[in-house]
Amino acid sequence: MPNIHIIKGEFKKQLELQLAPGIRAGFPSPAEDYLHDSLDFNHDLIRNPEATFYGRVEGDSMIEAGICDGDLAVIDRSIEPQDGDIVVAFINEEFTIKYLDLTHRSEGYIELRPANRRFKPIRINAEDDFEVWGVVVWTIKQWKQ
Amino acid sequence: MYGIIDCDNCYVSCERVFRPDLKDKPVIVLSNNDGCVVARSNEAKKLGIKAGVPFYQLAEKFPDQKIAVFSSNYELYGELTGRVVSIIRKEAPAYFRYSIDECFVYFKDVEQVDLMRWGENLHKRIKRSVGMPVSIGLAPTKTLAKMASFFAKRHSGFRHCCLIDTDEKRIRALKLYSIDEVWGIGRRYAARLKSMGVETAYDFASHKLSWVKATFRNIVIERTWRELNGEDCVPNEEMARKQSICTSRSFNGMITDLEGLRTHVSNYAARCAEKLRQEGSVASIVSVFLYTNPFREDLPQYTSFMETRLPVATNSTVEIVKAAYEVLRQLYREGYQYKKAGVIVMGIGPKSPVQLDLFDYNADQFQKMKRLDAVIDRINKVNGTETIVLGSQQYTRRDGKGKANVFANAIKHDYRSKNPTTRWSDIIVLK
Repeated sequence: MPNIHIIKGEFKKQLELQLAPGIRAGFPSPAEDYLHDSLDFNHDLIRNPEATFYGRVEGDSMIEAGICDGDLAVIDRSIEPQDGDIVVAFINEEFTIKYLDLTHRSEGYIELRPANRRFKPIRINAEDDFEVWGVVVWTIKQWKQ
Repeated sequence: MYGIIDCDNCYVSCERVFRPDLKDKPVIVLSNNDGCVVARSNEAKKLGIKAGVPFYQLAEKFPDQKIAVFSSNYELYGELTGRVVSIIRKEAPAYFRYSIDECFVYFKDVEQVDLMRWGENLHKRIKRSVGMPVSIGLAPTKTLAKMASFFAKRHSGFRHCCLIDTDEKRIRALKLYSIDEVWGIGRRYAARLKSMGVETAYDFASHKLSWVKATFRNIVIERTWRELNGEDCVPNEEMARKQSICTSRSFNGMITDLEGLRTHVSNYAARCAEKLRQEGSVASIVSVFLYTNPFREDLPQYTSFMETRLPVATNSTVEIVKAAYEVLRQLYREGYQYKKAGVIVMGIGPKSPVQLDLFDYNADQFQKMKRLDAVIDRINKVNGTETIVLGSQQYTRRDGKGKANVFANAIKHDYRSKNPTTRWSDIIVLK
């Protein structure tokens, strides 16, 4: 099959060619045998790059969970949402970030719970057309400009 | 066994990723400059909105309908479809991206894979991860795979994946498949075939090969016949060789002067260079075309196309913009009102083994250009497209003073969505 790319999934778009083995320029580095990729947020914190999206938090509805106005949320759409996860959902024409509460599923409804006593949970009935948009896997907070 | 993975109503589906409320609603996407309809959701198709309808006619024709309208946002579509391809790459032994919304895959050992399950799982994974619905067709040839994806798209019973792995299934499908739909048969040939009583792909495939050869004397038609009969013969090289990158636009008004055209052509050339760098390739041919408005029969008409071969294949913005301007200068004739121009780069190859012209090559210059392009790309990536452009890429302001507008602002796009996957300023807001 000429001209069909046979490439196993690589996260980086392009890989630079390393020197071919046997070709040496100057003295070999004693650390060469221990070559290891540096820590890389993109690589290590994002497990599913194709399913990862970002969002900016607005408001205080999740403040008691430590999520504040202006925080950055990393959202993974490929994860199956579970009870207690912090999720992103689309309700009333906007995206919202809340806890997913499945306690009352057997009673025919679920709740999106805020982490702030001043806000009420959002109740979603079984017959409503509802879908979790993605699961929040990280939030990032900036402390200094 | 070949497979084709095809994004359903691709542009509309991209827009819906960040507008889940538009699920089940009529949605359309407009062409550049908001001219006409280029993509429709199934609901919009059901309303009777045809592809290519001028946008201004919609309000008259569909007065009481609520239709969600988007200007085309290729930045978004490119990013999201890139994610789809990236998933396919991980799931298939070999793949070939055929267009923005189609990707071929190839299985050598079919015995070891439950293809039906493979397809259904791939659909689920892409839908879940990216939010993009795809249809998958699997068959022994590319032309038959295209046919299978047609059925996968239209019949919900297939659960987005249609596998043609027996002769019985192949024949049943061919009989239901109109000759107009067959991949590789153009509109003109389809009309000619119909006038000879060939209505379905089956009618065509059951003619003798000698008849096909004698009637059409056309290698593509003959190959299509073979493919429909199960013989794998559309070469992959052929699909790859077609590769060229084209950037073109109709202007918002009409342009008469060379300097005005230069600005547009420089931008198209810069876009081509950027695309080349993104895929790590270089081009050796730069061509430019120029049209007047064919609908204005009252005006003098001029259409022209010319190309130049670069001494060294390159992906440098400066060099490609320069070459495009050279060609434009030769093409340009005074006294016409131009409506459209475009730049096509061809002769595309991988970056590394660039053939050097020993007499013209200037190593120092080459290194400088490479560094300059890397810096331009970085700044434009971090600060937004076209933060830095060449002088010749800048448009004159409406009031004629100074140069302000950048390329992206020179096209009309009143209904453009945001770019939540490519710009930090556009990421979704979570309340």
